[in-house]
Amino acid sequence: MSWTIAVGVKQVPDDDEVGIDPDTGRLDRASAPAVMNPPDRDALEAALTIRDQVGGEVIAVTMGPPNAKTVLEQAVAMGCDDAVLVTDRAFAGSDTWPTSLTLARTAEALEADVVVCGEETTDSSTGQVPPGIAAHNGWAQLTYVEGVDARPEEDRLAARRDVEGGHELVAADLPVVVAVAYGEFDTRPAGLHRKIYAENDFEPTQWTAEDLEIKEEVGLDVSPTSVGGMETVDPVDRRGEVVDDIDDLAEVLTEVNA
Amino acid sequence: MSDDNGSGIDVDEYDDVWVFIEEHAGEVMPVSWELLEEGRTLAEKLGDELVALVIGEDVDEIAEEALARGADRVLVADDPVFEPYRADPYGEQFRAMVEAYKPSIALIGGTHTGRDFAGRVAVPAHAGLTADVTEIDVDDDGLLQARRPAFGGDVLATILCEEHRPQMATIRPGVFEAAEPTDEADGEIVEADVVVEEADCISEVLEREVGDTADITEAERIVAVGHGVEGDLEPARELAEALDAELAASRAAVDEGWIDGARQVGQTGKTVRPDLYVAVGISGAIQHLEGMNKSGTVIAINNDPNAPIFEHADYGIVGDLFEVCPDLADRLEGDLQEVVQ
Ligand SMILES: Cc1cc2nc3c(=O)[nH]c(=O)nc-3n(C[C@H](O)[C@H](O)[C@H](O)COP(=O)(O)OP(=O)(O)OC[C@H]3O[C@@H](n4cnc5c(N)ncnc54)[C@H](O)[C@@H]3O)c2cc1C
Repeated sequence: MSWTIAVGVKQVPDDDEVGIDPDTGRLDRASAPAVMNPPDRDALEAALTIRDQVGGEVIAVTMGPPNAKTVLEQAVAMGCDDAVLVTDRAFAGSDTWPTSLTLARTAEALEADVVVCGEETTDSSTGQVPPGIAAHNGWAQLTYVEGVDARPEEDRLAARRDVEGGHELVAADLPVVVAVAYGEFDTRPAGLHRKIYAENDFEPTQWTAEDLEIKEEVGLDVSPTSVGGMETVDPVDRRGEVVDDIDDLAEVLTEVNA
Repeated sequence: MSDDNGSGIDVDEYDDVWVFIEEHAGEVMPVSWELLEEGRTLAEKLGDELVALVIGEDVDEIAEEALARGADRVLVADDPVFEPYRADPYGEQFRAMVEAYKPSIALIGGTHTGRDFAGRVAVPAHAGLTADVTEIDVDDDGLLQARRPAFGGDVLATILCEEHRPQMATIRPGVFEAAEPTDEADGEIVEADVVVEEADCISEVLEREVGDTADITEAERIVAVGHGVEGDLEPARELAEALDAELAASRAAVDEGWIDGARQVGQTGKTVRPDLYVAVGISGAIQHLEGMNKSGTVIAINNDPNAPIFEHADYGIVGDLFEVCPDLADRLEGDLQEVVQ
């Protein structure tokens, strides 16, 4: 028994490198370097763990501009067997509905048994894409996953999920979409040989909207949501007073507490 | 008006404001009552009915409570297939109800459960779904304006859904006041057809272990612990006791398993609004700040003078929390003693 495991990865601006615009005093994300969405590192590790458990192939998938290829190289360096770049101008303006459709069709085309994703992305943070993929394909889903337990003899994947106030163990029929809870899977280091291969010899497969036969179903026009406006939020005004003396702090606390 | 908007649906056919009442084994998640209160405001502005949706097993009492807390109508889907919660039967049932009753707006708590199944409704319904909303309103045309923090809370984006229905949103727990029960409930309870069968379910809950869920959103004083406590909650607990405060945490502390996830503050946790928020060994990542920005006075205890939390605190002290917390607690206890004497 061996499974085809697709893992979704996305390129996002590096939060740690997001600078402050000197003129406005606001975060300037546009100039931040692009990195792999941190929760997707957990997803990669979970995908590799499932492969360790049942055997098979892990294929990294990203939907994005041509330069998003670098996250796929990174994924291959970290141990993925192969990678697909889904790229097309037709995708421009897609909200979570067409985005999850695109990834759902990609998973179908790969004949994936399992699709693993990060919990959410740091740049749009909706967390809606993994359930959206499952919904488009009518597949099972497991979100907020902290541990995976492949059960090939049952054709199911069981997972420990974080739920409010506790945990549950849920088994889902294949194919299944898994969204991994951020910070729960320690990523294994990329091997040197794999890194050299990924950077020099590896080329991901490229698919367009046409290849996936969804040209009419993606992009701005089919996206049910639109951005009606952006208001900058004034940062909460705090005093920012650092005191040296613990007595001063105790005094403040007593006052607030009174 | 006809449907010349391109989506192929007539938005005028859709009305009513729906609120999903999330329950687990008879326990209602507090965010559900928060949404009912906010839903009431929207329904009144629109001249629409406020409809509560209750999905579960043996949920009569919950349906009654939803009426008492202000719903004009409660739609109930009562069946063993809904207990415990699973994404596929909940999503399918909710979707079928949306199709049958055509609500204009559907509000769902931004809990793990709500965020788990909302997409299973929005995708087949081709509805607009906005995640993790912190402000909602309707504009002059009756269109839902769902606002959510973007770019780490630096901006508030307004998301619209003009041509598709329902207009769905998951809403972060803790941002609204809860609807209180009254004696004047005169709404009706409607049994909805249950469209799901166990045989069609594609997932199975094997084990479920849930304790009491803490509600930090109501706390007036909070001591929050971060990764800096290194698993030792005692100093923070002492300080919390001296201040009569609730314990809360950053995600890093929750992920380490040091404290229950229900106590997490931030983008993927709760929004809190205490008078006093003491951040102990918390660096001040944007995802954390988002959940604590509504606090009154913020105090930071951190041994790194460059920790971003100091810029987002009213008062801070650079020092080792293992020394500062007990010391502060002692002084506060001393003060209290003085007050008592
Ligand atoms: C998708 C996503 C969602 C997220 N959602 C949330 C969320 O909802 N809530 C949240 O909190 N985070 C969230 N995060 C995580 C967030 O980015 C940070 O990683 C997290 O908040 C860091 O927690 P921390 O400040 O406790 O730990 P750290 O960043 O490790 O900071 C620990 C701090 O403790 C200090 N310290 C260490 N030892 C001592 C000592 N002895 N005395 C005093 N100080 C000490 C250190 O100087 C440091 O500043 C999210 C991240 C992602 C990607």
